[in-house]
Amino acid sequence: MQALRIALAQIAPRLGALDDNLERHRALIGEARAAGAGLVVFPELGLTGYQLQDLAAEVAMRLDDPRLAALAADTEGLSAIVSFVEEAADHRLFIAAALLEDGAVRHVHRKLFLPTYGLFDERRFFAAGDVLRATPSRLGVGLGIAVCEDFWHLGVPALLALDGAQVLVNVSSSPGRDLAATNEVGLGTATSWRTLMRTYAQLTTSFVVFCNRVGVDESISFWGGSEVIAPTGAAAFSAPLYDEGLFSVDVSLADVRRERIALPLLRDERLELQARELGRIVAERAGLAPDSTAADGAGPGLDVAPGDAPGRPIGFGSAGRS
Amino acid sequence: MTESAPAYELPVELAIDTDVARRVIGEFIRRQLGQAGFERALLGLSGGIDSALVAYLTAEAIGAERLLCVSMPYRTSSDASRSDAAEVVGRLGCPLETVDISPMVDGYFSDADGASPIRRGNLMARMRMAVLYDRSVTWGGLVVGTGNKTESLIGYTTLFGDSACAFNPIGDLYKSQVRQLAAAIGVPDGIIRKAPSADLWPGQTDEAEAGFLYPVLDRILFWRIDKRRSIDEVVALGFERTLIERVDRMVAAAEFKRQVPPIAKLGPRTAGVDYLYPRRRPGSARR
Repeated sequence: MQALRIALAQIAPRLGALDDNLERHRALIGEARAAGAGLVVFPELGLTGYQLQDLAAEVAMRLDDPRLAALAADTEGLSAIVSFVEEAADHRLFIAAALLEDGAVRHVHRKLFLPTYGLFDERRFFAAGDVLRATPSRLGVGLGIAVCEDFWHLGVPALLALDGAQVLVNVSSSPGRDLAATNEVGLGTATSWRTLMRTYAQLTTSFVVFCNRVGVDESISFWGGSEVIAPTGAAAFSAPLYDEGLFSVDVSLADVRRERIALPLLRDERLELQARELGRIVAERAGLAPDSTAADGAGPGLDVAPGDAPGRPIGFGSAGRS
Repeated sequence: MTESAPAYELPVELAIDTDVARRVIGEFIRRQLGQAGFERALLGLSGGIDSALVAYLTAEAIGAERLLCVSMPYRTSSDASRSDAAEVVGRLGCPLETVDISPMVDGYFSDADGASPIRRGNLMARMRMAVLYDRSVTWGGLVVGTGNKTESLIGYTTLFGDSACAFNPIGDLYKSQVRQLAAAIGVPDGIIRKAPSADLWPGQTDEAEAGFLYPVLDRILFWRIDKRRSIDEVVALGFERTLIERVDRMVAAAEFKRQVPPIAKLGPRTAGVDYLYPRRRPGSARR
């Protein structure tokens, strides 16, 4: 029961061509099923392409969209994670990743962190999700689904694991950049991601499944390099960079138990400590409490709290720094 | 074994993984053509390293038979340029067309002595652009750009001339990196070694005209722009402050050459401002 075959669909979606991409997803789900996969993972915005800009509204689907239902209908007896532009009832657009199982949409994760810096401009076109939840699945383990930039924030993999996920899944459209010869595997972006995923797998003692697209949207090239990392932090599988393909990886979910018994990091986690200190930092950043950790006379930028917080914050009585 | 002098100087911080670069660029070329509905490409082959490298990369990506190289000499162009262009075409096995632009240029400047070298050079670059875009129709292919990052940043390029193209595979590579990639892909040694020149008049070289060497210029640009170092921090790396400041001024002065011209904002949706679509989207490819 603990053996799982994961299929990573490292594809190059056609930008804005929803129908073509839907067809390709259905074909690949069929292929993965024939190969005995229990979980098929597609990349971020695999149904629409990434660099959509104003096309985002034109390819958006509501969760009750019949096209999504038709895709879900293909998942009888297996689990698939697909990604698309979701239009909410109030017409906000989200970058969504959905877990489709046994013919139904089982769970939807809306991308929490929308990079809007450097070559990214996501916040201009999309709304950020507000909810992070692990989800049960037909695989018998909790899944923690995140989208690309979500994994550049430490709290996301940590919260998913604490919430019950034993397999963390990140779906990405990561643009490759920095070809400096000193990089591992010749690409700075790949080096960073590989470091993150191994670290998260080890620290959460969970499987990390990473599915990244390939192909080209406008100026940017997506580098693939999809991976499955074992709970020990060791790579179970690394797909080639830039090659399109459906890659099968066999894992034993019993590895999660073994690692968590041997290395009980999650058991020893101090949630109340984190919650308490986070509460304090939130209050201090909001100017509702004086910055208790700033050294007197600390230079600007050398402490996490704003240096010029009001001495007597509004609504905080007479508390002030002495 | 004999050791020969290296064909070029490669500052260590600029060294790239050339295998990854070839992989990315090859896919970039194929996808740019595919998304536009084209199978063929063409470029202006000068005999210099930039266009030679792009010819090699394009031939590698789509096959030499799908690449048309167009040689467009002016009557003062050096013989070496023509023979180097011929060598590239010979080695790649791609078709070559030669169009002498002398009658076009000389027909415009009726008083040949009255026009400055800058005006003449700019007109030559724009005549070559016009020829390439005309040939793109007869050949049925897209014009591939051959400008590098160094010349784009300092503005050593003619607006709507040599910078005009459908897409550019090497526009994010500094000259030193162009040399590294050219050596890796097999561009003839003589082309890599010779002094870079716009070949607008006999004996002209980029480095003599600008007053600095490419490896130095590339390093200053890399630290200032890519690595966001302050002038003081770049001085600390061993560069002259006056040179850094001069490079900064050149980069700032050329900003307009790297951008699409602004449109006066009047209506509800304006291209490039609040009408933002990918260049290639469903329905945009030629039939």
